Amino acid sequence: MKLLDMTKKYGNATYGYPLEPYYVPEGFRGKPSYTYENCIGCTACGIACPSNAINVKLNEERTKLVWEFDAARCIFCGRCDEVCPTGAIVLSKEFETAVKFDKKDLIERGELDVAYCEVCNKPFTTKRLIAYDIERLKKVGWAEKTLEEKTKYIKTCPDCKRALTIEKISKYSKGV
Amino acid sequence: MSKTYVVPEDIKEANNLEAKLKHLNNIKKSFNVFRVDCGSCNGCEIEVFAAITPMWDPERLGFKLVASPRHADILLCSGPVTRQMYYPLLRAYEATPDPKVVVAIGACGSSGGIFHDAYSVWGGVDKIVPVDVYIPGCPPHPATIVYGLASALGILEQKLKFKEHKDGSNEAPIVEESLFGNLLFERDLLAESKRLMGYLFGRKLYEKYINALGKSKDVKDVKKTKEIISIYCDEEEDKRYQECMKTLHNNIYLKYVKRFSVVNDKEDRFQF
Repeated sequence: MKLLDMTKKYGNATYGYPLEPYYVPEGFRGKPSYTYENCIGCTACGIACPSNAINVKLNEERTKLVWEFDAARCIFCGRCDEVCPTGAIVLSKEFETAVKFDKKDLIERGELDVAYCEVCNKPFTTKRLIAYDIERLKKVGWAEKTLEEKTKYIKTCPDCKRALTIEKISKYSKGV
Repeated sequence: MSKTYVVPEDIKEANNLEAKLKHLNNIKKSFNVFRVDCGSCNGCEIEVFAAITPMWDPERLGFKLVASPRHADILLCSGPVTRQMYYPLLRAYEATPDPKVVVAIGACGSSGGIFHDAYSVWGGVDKIVPVDVYIPGCPPHPATIVYGLASALGILEQKLKFKEHKDGSNEAPIVEESLFGNLLFERDLLAESKRLMGYLFGRKLYEKYINALGKSKDVKDVKKTKEIISIYCDEEEDKRYQECMKTLHNNIYLKYVKRFSVVNDKEDRFQF
């Protein structure tokens, strides 16, 4: 009886889960939640992911950028959350992630339209990323002419940017 | 690796879905679990043992760890299956009486995890034996393990589904207005607050500072803004946020406001 009194004093330590819902504490790192509307396809999360749970690749026809997240491989480190510039991927509090039979249920996929380089017509980023860049550049408060130049610069791929820069420099330093 | 295990016909037949569901109906409130460590780092093991403490107490659902696969109904496999653990896993699988439920636990167990492309592992339990339940997580939270076992027994329903997003618009996500009319200020502010407090608290700090700055009627007025920031600093309970807000004000705000008005280095800076 003494023992029962003691248990009464300290209360019940066992959680009611799975018969009752369980609430995770503040700052819990659960399954990353993805907001497709905010994703600009900058591939920062794909580069930061240490276990390659996030893969960002062009599809076979090279017309779409495919963002793919595999929860089976995710180690919940939160690096994708850290690097995401638009808050499209945030660690949620979802911990009920187990699936039965089909591993495909753990996968989440998003497709974005690819933008082509204005000089060489090669796919290099997404249209949404370029729109986002221009939107941000407008709010920096530059003059019209600079803005136009920068917009043109954004729409060329890295290889063409390099070639154009070299061309510019060689034009100035011809006499040297 | 090329050589993979082919499940013998008799085991395959005895393990079909119907037999499994019937078996689950039979064992209902008493299921014995055998745990196979296929080269795991022991993180998952620790969480499994955390899950069978009185805190979670799955024994009220009938969960019991057993020492031999011959007594088991459920095989709990963790780890990416190293070369050395290939045969022991198969022996445990074949020794378990039919029908059996195989649960892959952890990121490694369900897909190889961070070892998915290493030379010495098979990369997941499902490459070798058929798996019924996947419990991802590195390591999974005890609640996730309890959920996984509960969903294996049919107490809870599966929540995740395959999701695909297609044909979205090419419009940019919303970019917020800048207080100075110069987005570089917000960019520097966010970078500095992340440097000071890390990404999670840094974002909260950034929001707090921007909120305080927005309350100032004229952002370009140095003295009034300082007053308002100090009021918000005093209201803030957390000392870390207090100090970091002042540091942000000194390092970033004063640098940008120099373009619009004269800054007195002694008076306008926060002193610690």
